[in-house]
Amino acid sequence: MAESYVKPGNQEKGWNDPPQFSYGLQTQAQGVQKRNFLNKRVPPPQLDGSQVSLPSGAPLPAKPLSPTLPLAPPPSTVVLPARRLSAVDCTALSASTHTECEATIEDVMGLLDWALTACRTTVKRQVCDEVSKRLTLFQEMWISGKLSSPVKKRMYYLAEELKKQNWDSADETHRSLIVDYVNEVSQWMVGVKRLIAETRNLPTEVLNAEVEGPSPKEDTTQNTQ
Amino acid sequence: MATYQEFIQQNEDRDGVRFSWNVWPSSRLEAAKMVVPLSCLFTPLKERPDLPPVQYEPVLCSRPTCKAVLNPLCQVDYRAKLWACNFCFQRNHFPPAYAGISDINQPAELMPQFSTIEYIVQNGPQTPLIFLYVVDTCLEEEDLQALKESLQMSLSLLSPNALVGLITFGRMVQVHELSCEGISKSYVFRGTKDLSGKQIQEMLGLTKPAAPVQQGRPAQPQDHSVSSRFLQPVHKIDMNLTDLLGELQRDPWPVPQGKRPLRSTGIALSIAVGLLEGTFPNTGARIMLFTGGPPTQGPGMVVGDELKTPIRSWHDIEKDNARYLKKATKYYDALANRSAVNGHCIDIYAFALDQTGLLEMKCCSNLTGGHIVMGDSFNTSLFKQTYQRVFTKDYNGEFQMAFGGELEVKTSRELKISGAIGPCVSLNVKGPCVSENVRLGGTSQWKICGINPFTTLGMYFEVVNQHNAPVPQGGRGAIQFITQYQHSSTQKRIRVTTIARNWADAQSQIQHIEAAFDQEAAAVLMARLGVCRAQSEEGPDVLRWLDRQLIRLCQKFGQFHKDDPNSFRLSESFSLYPQFMFHLRRSPFLQVFNNSPDESSYYRHHFVRQDLTQSLIMIQPVLYSYSFYGPPEPVLLDSSSILPDKILLMDTFFQLVIYHGETIAQWRKAGYQEMAEYENFKQLLQAPLDDAQEILQTRFPMPRYIDTEHGGSQARFLLSKVNPSQTHNNLYAWGQETGAPILTDDVSLQVFMDHLKKLAVSSAL
Repeated sequence: MAESYVKPGNQEKGWNDPPQFSYGLQTQAQGVQKRNFLNKRVPPPQLDGSQVSLPSGAPLPAKPLSPTLPLAPPPSTVVLPARRLSAVDCTALSASTHTECEATIEDVMGLLDWALTACRTTVKRQVCDEVSKRLTLFQEMWISGKLSSPVKKRMYYLAEELKKQNWDSADETHRSLIVDYVNEVSQWMVGVKRLIAETRNLPTEVLNAEVEGPSPKEDTTQNTQ
Repeated sequence: MATYQEFIQQNEDRDGVRFSWNVWPSSRLEAAKMVVPLSCLFTPLKERPDLPPVQYEPVLCSRPTCKAVLNPLCQVDYRAKLWACNFCFQRNHFPPAYAGISDINQPAELMPQFSTIEYIVQNGPQTPLIFLYVVDTCLEEEDLQALKESLQMSLSLLSPNALVGLITFGRMVQVHELSCEGISKSYVFRGTKDLSGKQIQEMLGLTKPAAPVQQGRPAQPQDHSVSSRFLQPVHKIDMNLTDLLGELQRDPWPVPQGKRPLRSTGIALSIAVGLLEGTFPNTGARIMLFTGGPPTQGPGMVVGDELKTPIRSWHDIEKDNARYLKKATKYYDALANRSAVNGHCIDIYAFALDQTGLLEMKCCSNLTGGHIVMGDSFNTSLFKQTYQRVFTKDYNGEFQMAFGGELEVKTSRELKISGAIGPCVSLNVKGPCVSENVRLGGTSQWKICGINPFTTLGMYFEVVNQHNAPVPQGGRGAIQFITQYQHSSTQKRIRVTTIARNWADAQSQIQHIEAAFDQEAAAVLMARLGVCRAQSEEGPDVLRWLDRQLIRLCQKFGQFHKDDPNSFRLSESFSLYPQFMFHLRRSPFLQVFNNSPDESSYYRHHFVRQDLTQSLIMIQPVLYSYSFYGPPEPVLLDSSSILPDKILLMDTFFQLVIYHGETIAQWRKAGYQEMAEYENFKQLLQAPLDDAQEILQTRFPMPRYIDTEHGGSQARFLLSKVNPSQTHNNLYAWGQETGAPILTDDVSLQVFMDHLKKLAVSSAL
């Protein structure tokens, strides 16, 4: 679940900076074979019999509409001929950006803490502490309102996927977050990444044992070892 | 003509080759008269989703001076289990594993549709990929922050087993020890003192008494605990490295008024090359240099630290007034060669408003197959997204980038290989197929340390048959390309492409040769030769050479009456070629006017490594027109295509320009697109954006995106590219006023063609 959107580039810092595509759009484009459809050329005249001085290769334009005032409006009754299938509408941000995230931090932390607890059985203590440090930072940023709604929603999704043991999906979500929202997540996302990596390597008995443990909705203080 | 077009396209799709001539003149003399050399564009690792690799080793010819790979052109005796090499005619026995083959049970490599085939070979341990970040800290705060974030993000894009390392530099150079515990440590080097690879390894504590490595055998670093202080796997070090990157500060040395920061790029690169040389020779690695300004200190410096002395321009270079140019170029050249020998590629990400020294440093990427990406600031979408695309994955979910490519070319005896132009170095392997001449000649093997599915080399051949030697009846010449490389999954693979083309006697069968001419490939191959010449010759001389070749080609293949320009005709297979040459002459690859030396280096760097379609776009940009009157269509790259009620989309490869005609611009300003009854106008405005999107989403490097209109200052990008058929000089000579006049004294295509025809038909030449 990654959003598909396009933002304008940074025109202040780079002249003619191209627009920024979300991770979702980029990966979508990667899988598709390049179509190379904008590669046709029109041969010039001059090498056939005609001595035409005006290049005739261009399509004969209709009488150009006069640009002088008053400006005639564009044709409104002309039906636009069928175009190539257009890609996602460039200008609209995904609708989900505007709706608020319904999950709470407790929901998300509960799921993440479940994973961390499972890891503590076999993974080095130092690594778990480092992960924990970053999860705490994430929690603080959420509570103090520093995280935008799409980040919160995707983190909840990530946490759910983690619980369901859909490792690849969780991993992909973490990647989409760090690509699209690096300035919000860069300080703590690597902890989440590590958490996914360590949890997926846990032996199944450990994971399944934890499943019977406290559920995400319960009071999270019970989870601490 | 349709059949040859199809033939050419099929061959490109299957084998990744585009030959200038697809029917070959059978003698050296005749081939020389063709003007355009027998040559091809070859994409060694062309994406072939339909070609699964085979899991066994290739069968080689047993003759020691041949060793060609078994291929569909070989004659096979299935009963005797023998095969005849089509290059040297040696008869070879099949290995025991092939005992069961027959003409109804052929191995894949003998089937005609497997003219290109890939083998996975399993020898040796699989060494992980290595990514060494070399980061300039003399950046503005905002830039440094954006760069740090991109680097942190890249850790999530790397595979968990990849090794990473970090070197930062400013006035000093710091090699960071990566560890999971305690205080972070680094080794600090002075930015002024040049050190040999050995000295660097000693100072980093990487040398220890060990058995000398045998010549020719790839070095196997037995014990990595020593090097692991500086290069660690991502899965272990990601959290600490993320923190380390997050804590990076701007170079602390204060920069006085009127001075540039002291930047020791030369030493930083030298240390990076030395570190990898001593720890991981002969394994896939990327040194990624991120720099925000020119080297101003130490070996490899490109300009002094006084701002009042500007960095060299083309004018300075022409007047021999570029103080540091020779020495710096030599320095980076030496580093590049060392890196190439070790199989490591060097990327340069140069983001600054002024030049950064790409002219001097370009060999680092050009010789090793690394990337050069240039822009204004790290805090731009162009950098962020282009950098993400370095880590693009293929349809199997594995990185497109590959390493350690070694390309060997074998030819049938009537041909020799003269040389190659592309992101490679010569391996100096002489042999029966080698001739002299051309850049990177004198070898039949090249090394491409950094290679991807689009890397394309220009390969140039020579026909060596004597003039009166008879053409073998139905005879075909053959070429085999053997590319060994390290796949991003760390597997070693071998891709073998074997092609053949008919010989023809140029005296009696010139029309066959003509019909099989690929003008697009020829244009790109000649262009690469031109760019190569431009490195060592004066600009006007290169243009004169190009013009001479064009005139000679027209004299040879045009149909005309002597001294009658109006009678001149070219057949369809040559019809686009003069136009390509016209645009090539005006392109930034051969015209340095209006570009800085860094910009010219940048454009040329990309030009000599792209495939045919992209290269053609660079030579002659594509122009599409959008209007109410029909679907989008390609139009002449000409001023007459610029009309008030049309939107134009131009792709130059480096820029995507959307130009709104005068009336369209006025409608847009008036806001008609917001009104419900003018929904079709809104759609019209959106159409070119949608088409541009696909290019923007996939191209490497990401192009600039220019949205402009009639009278806009950015319209100059379009106006400078179109053929100026209408200028301020001839405006009133036209009967009908269409299109926009271009204010230029440049020659138009019409004038160019008139001169060409006059010269081609002239009996005086």
